[in-house]
Amino acid sequence: MSTDVLVVDGLTVYRDTYPAVQDVSFALAEGTDTAIVGPNGAGKSTLVQAVLGILPRRTGDVLVLGQPLSRKGVLPARVRQQIAYLPQNFLFDRRIPITVNELVALGWDSLGPQLPWANRQPRRLAVSRALAEVDALHLGPQPISRLSGGEMKRALLAYCLVHPRRLLILDEAPAGLDVRGESEFYQLLYQLKQAQGWAILQISHDLDMVRKHCDRVLCINRSIRCQGSPDYALSPDNLVSVYGSEFVRYRHHH
Amino acid sequence: MPSLTSTLELFQLPFMQRALIGGILTGLMGGLLGSFTILRQLSFFSDALGHSALLGISLGLLLGINPSSVLLPFAVVFALGVAYLLERTRLWTDALLNIVYSSSLAIGVILLTFVGQYKGGINSILFGDILAVRSGNLWVSALLLGACVLFVGLTLRSQILLTLHEPLAIARGISALTHRTIFIVLLALVVGTSIQAIGVLLISAFVVIPACAARLLSRSFTGYVILSALLGALGAVLGMVISAVFNLPSGPAIVTMQLAIFLVAIVLPRTKLSAV
Ligand SMILES: Nc1ncnc2c1ncn2[C@@H]1O[C@H](COP(=O)(O)OP(=O)(O)OP(=O)(O)O)[C@@H](O)[C@H]1O
Ligand SMILES: [Mg+2]
Repeated sequence: MSTDVLVVDGLTVYRDTYPAVQDVSFALAEGTDTAIVGPNGAGKSTLVQAVLGILPRRTGDVLVLGQPLSRKGVLPARVRQQIAYLPQNFLFDRRIPITVNELVALGWDSLGPQLPWANRQPRRLAVSRALAEVDALHLGPQPISRLSGGEMKRALLAYCLVHPRRLLILDEAPAGLDVRGESEFYQLLYQLKQAQGWAILQISHDLDMVRKHCDRVLCINRSIRCQGSPDYALSPDNLVSVYGSEFVRYRHHH
Repeated sequence: MPSLTSTLELFQLPFMQRALIGGILTGLMGGLLGSFTILRQLSFFSDALGHSALLGISLGLLLGINPSSVLLPFAVVFALGVAYLLERTRLWTDALLNIVYSSSLAIGVILLTFVGQYKGGINSILFGDILAVRSGNLWVSALLLGACVLFVGLTLRSQILLTLHEPLAIARGISALTHRTIFIVLLALVVGTSIQAIGVLLISAFVVIPACAARLLSRSFTGYVILSALLGALGAVLGMVISAVFNLPSGPAIVTMQLAIFLVAIVLPRTKLSAV
């Protein structure tokens, strides 16, 4: 089991009084790209937030790199440093004065107490390398208040990439990227997975992209409805069970 | 208008020196914590705490304890109470703070009617008396400033992440609750120690105005935090000089100078904003 980056076992999460995620179990191996699909409100974001300790869970166990996530959402700092997360609606106050360089640099340090000026040089190098990887080197000195939605996405991707990780969790990450950006994005994920062995867990509504790029699919509607290779999990029968029959008819006729 | 030399002579008096140092310390602390306070939409907190401090002061008078030694414990309890209420009710911060401060003001005034005559005078509670600052107060302020600098400095990146997007920070293993609590307690202590000098009515200006001026002039976060603290200190120095030269009350003079800095920041930048 040493190659399993993430193990989720019997996870149940409540939002207020409503079980948004029920008895979900799965494992992610090193160097794989897994997609979570399902209709709006299916509990996909809730699931990954519980895995990260952002939302509390009712029952179940979560192991990241072999370390258990405590009830209160605590993981050892060195494990945290191996995880990157890109939330769904990264809506923040654009009046906050911060440059893209500073934002990306936040991803580099492990966040214990430290002097603010420690490790300046290696941090700066890592930041430019990460920005170059997402083709956004020119955005570095810009304040985030000036970025377009897609440029913001690139900056955040750089924030995830700026330090080598083992687990990358993306909540509808490519939404908002232009055509070229999207294909480069999937190329980048492929390279991280192949060359560096990252395990990737991405929530997506783009079933065609999932078919093309992912190794495995989890179909979720509160609980796991089916899982397996894209060909199997995204077969018409399984899609009916996840999305309802209306959806499949729509996709076939248009 | 007094001559330059007579003003300089004024600042050789020990109580004026203490007032100046006290003003600088308060300005630095207010600006430093204020930079995060306004971004976290807690601007109203210092105002609410200032007004609620009247309750603390009346409680002290009623129990026969020196009001100034009640203020700090009161401020901490107030901060923890507000933090709990915010977490618990998830109501809008400004609405909740309004409830807390108007009710503690009401209760404070009712309590004051039982106290009878207060020697210190309501005026000095409302507007403060920076000239009455003792060296003991200065030491407390200096220690507190040290604590604030250490806390913000050593956890700067965590603080920035928490300010930007809390889930993102939690995903990195930052305990949002712990950081929020420490921050609000520090802010309460800063407001509590500064009330004697500045008064309950004007204290929030020290937290809000320099930070807003710094926001207008900065584009990087680190620069913004440092500038905010420096502008806080600059406002205090200018205000003390103005107050000495024109014989004005010092708290209001400092706030007026902070306003002047803010107005300059409004007309000055734009071009600078795009260049820096
Ligand atoms: N902040 C919230 N408070 C309470 N309940 C919530 C909250 N956010 C979502 N929910 C509930 O939890 C359920 C799952 O929501 P979640 O955001 O996980 O869905 P999702 O699968 O990510 O949907 P989408 O595709 O729209 O992003 C929804 O039914 C919703 O009603
Ligand atoms: Mg979602």
